[in-house]
Amino acid sequence: MTRGDKLLIAAVLLCAFLGLLTIYRHFVISSDQRFPAQATITVEGKVLCTIDLDPAAGQELMQIAGRLGPATVEVADGKIRMREANCPEQICVKQSWIASPGSTIVCLPGEIIIHVDGPAPVDAVTR
Amino acid sequence: MTRRGHLLLILCLGLLVAGVSVYLSERRIKEYRSEQFLMDTLVSIKVYGDDAAALPVAVAAAYGEMHRIAALVDRFPLTGTEECRRSDVCRINAMAGIAPVRVDADTLAMLLLAKKYQELSAGAFDVTIGPVMDLWDFAGENPKIPASSSIVATLPLVDSESLEINEIESTAYLRKAGMKLDLGALAKGYATEKALQALVRQGIQKALIDAGGNIRVLGSNTRNAPWRIGIKDPRQGDALVAIVTLEDAAAVTSGDYYRYFEADGQRYHHILHPRSGYPAHENMSVTVVSQDAGLADLLSTAFFVMKGEEALALADKLGVNLVLVSAAGRIVHTSGLAAHLEVLPGGAYRYDPR
Repeated sequence: MTRGDKLLIAAVLLCAFLGLLTIYRHFVISSDQRFPAQATITVEGKVLCTIDLDPAAGQELMQIAGRLGPATVEVADGKIRMREANCPEQICVKQSWIASPGSTIVCLPGEIIIHVDGPAPVDAVTR
Repeated sequence: MTRRGHLLLILCLGLLVAGVSVYLSERRIKEYRSEQFLMDTLVSIKVYGDDAAALPVAVAAAYGEMHRIAALVDRFPLTGTEECRRSDVCRINAMAGIAPVRVDADTLAMLLLAKKYQELSAGAFDVTIGPVMDLWDFAGENPKIPASSSIVATLPLVDSESLEINEIESTAYLRKAGMKLDLGALAKGYATEKALQALVRQGIQKALIDAGGNIRVLGSNTRNAPWRIGIKDPRQGDALVAIVTLEDAAAVTSGDYYRYFEADGQRYHHILHPRSGYPAHENMSVTVVSQDAGLADLLSTAFFVMKGEEALALADKLGVNLVLVSAAGRIVHTSGLAAHLEVLPGGAYRYDPR
């Protein structure tokens, strides 16, 4: 084996390792939930804020202004819910707590969306 | 080099090629997503493709179709307004007992679909449910239990036999005054299917439309595997009861947990049995999987009011699939889904694989 052969083999081994890493990233890591959950609140199409859903943090109440008036969002124990909203059907309030990435609470009349960010276990949810 | 050395080198080259192709496939495909409040729900469209500029154009065309269908079926604009003139359903209802109304080809298609499945489901689905829906006023400020006498008095107006459709003239007519169409149980699914067709016409091969939980997928997901669609637990916040895998198909759910009110400790939800005029109580949720989102939407409502065994038998006969959570907490599904469904453990339900 010449010096060139050895270099070639080393280069191929390195590339193969990178290839393996890419495959691993694609199939293993991205299906994993390794990020701390966060929720994004959107009002009338604009992102209002992003909140950490930290299970260790205490209860937090947030007043937000929806299209129909004020609403109260509550965060506790790593979960989030619409506690009160100024809308007739109260669908968003009845939906109660959410915590899994990909979950959403939508207040239609108020145009408020609460979305739990992060890699979801499914592509969508039928409900 | 030894023979082993060669094999090792070939293996390494194989890994290299696989890694590069995965990397390229990840890089090439671009995503565009957009959300809109539409048809009393939040509609989200995600499309994927190589041409980043073409994606927003395709999504705009899809939303255009949904807005067009939404305007055709809007039931609540005031008579005489511009919105009512644009809504076929509004005009048909205003002309009930008076005269036939000329309608759009899509309205005609929805009414024909509704009438066909009213017959096939032996009345479990009825698009003329409007007058009874209005008594309950689910969408209003104060939904209430109507007096039983007013339900009894209104039920004769729920009568698809008296819906006349003339395909040649492209007209529809409700023969009795006071009859009202309500396309709420199929319009969203129909519009979703039209939106998907618009995406396909724009050259899109991979997409997911989520119209308030009515799911329609095109092609496979970004990993080139079937899309994984969760089925919501009918009682637990954001928990799932099962995951169904889909390609080029729709999954639509009707449940008792979305639009409801409580009175005297009882839950009154918005899916009424067309023959009793009261909320159906056989099931907590029914998910229909079919090629067509409009049909899946309509059938999820029809199956929801039926007993589990009847729903399963009809689904088999019609060649569609369903997953059902009965009022007693039993999960059953058609055998066609066996290879595409994963029922999740840990829920308060009893899985019955038949």
